[in-house]
Amino acid sequence: MRAPPAADLERRVARLLRVGTYASIALLAAGVTGMAAAGRSPLDPAPRFDPARIPADLGALRPEGFLWLGIVFVMATPSARVVMSLIGYLREGDRAMTVVSVLILAVIGLSVVAAMWSGA
Amino acid sequence: MLAGGVMAGVFGSLLGLGGGILIVPLLTIGFGLPLREAVGVSLICVIVTSGAAAGVYLERHVANLRLGMTLELFTAIGALIGGLVAFLLSEQILAALFSVMLVYVAVSMIRGRDPEVDDDAAATEPPAVQPFGLTLDGPGYAVHGLGRGAIGSIGAGVVSALLGIGGGLIKVPVMHLVMGVPLRVATATSNLMIGITATASAIIYLLRGGIDPFVAGPTAIGVFLGATLGSRTAHRIDLRVLRILFVAVLSWTAFEMIRRALTTAA
Repeated sequence: MRAPPAADLERRVARLLRVGTYASIALLAAGVTGMAAAGRSPLDPAPRFDPARIPADLGALRPEGFLWLGIVFVMATPSARVVMSLIGYLREGDRAMTVVSVLILAVIGLSVVAAMWSGA
Repeated sequence: MLAGGVMAGVFGSLLGLGGGILIVPLLTIGFGLPLREAVGVSLICVIVTSGAAAGVYLERHVANLRLGMTLELFTAIGALIGGLVAFLLSEQILAALFSVMLVYVAVSMIRGRDPEVDDDAAATEPPAVQPFGLTLDGPGYAVHGLGRGAIGSIGAGVVSALLGIGGGLIKVPVMHLVMGVPLRVATATSNLMIGITATASAIIYLLRGGIDPFVAGPTAIGVFLGATLGSRTAHRIDLRVLRILFVAVLSWTAFEMIRRALTTAA
């Protein structure tokens, strides 16, 4: 028997949260292992967040590349959960929850804009 | 730092507080980090620890996804405001606010209640029709008081962003006592909401240079391991002894943070 749409959506969201969390932890663990291997202390000066540098850092196996990507994964997982819910609610034709999902994503987008504007 | 994170995770998990309340004092008092940077790292830690737990709660149908998403719209707005305000306040004021929160939690524990937990009886107002056709009720309970819940959620978001905690201290009582949500569901739904709430402000900390990856990595892994360990050993530990120890730690931490705030201000 097929699960009702709401239960099905919850199951998919739960799986996404678990996968996202474990992927984040794996990346952070790789970064911490790299720190230990390179003799870096947590209190050493760290580079500022620069998304453009992450691929090069990863390619060079620098710990900061894994750590920054892990942190991005940590912060992207809840938003991915909202995107998945948005798609689910759209398919169900649930207009109210579709609007709620869009507004949540809008607030997250506004955070990015506000951070860039206030930090400039 | 990893070991400190494990301790924070174990304590937080055993007492149902999440690790946030201990991470900020650990990083500021234990490692001398600026308070704002400690809050940024703490936000990353609470997202990590809530993620896996929220998945379990959803699969077991304990967390209410629709209610959680509706309220997290407001916690995210609060967190956005709080994240911006955090960079306007001095470290002394933030430390004082954190101390007040620690004292509140310690007093709640002395009185014999979890700070997030109250009586079993939820408010008994009749269910009201929600605006925009929202259906937030769960099996066996009707949700009401959405307006007051939204206001409380904005407050929870502001506090979360300023102090680097999950905000369950506010969200759980609001859902349980104001909105008529059973305690177990309120706790699970609050956990689900932490991700988006903390992300809204963590983005501001990240883009304004308030998150140190070398600190966040070991601390987040430590808290995650500690929370996992704590949830598996909770049934073997005498929580009364742990509570007394925790109250002592919180009281000392509150005193130390106030002392440092005053010393720095002088």
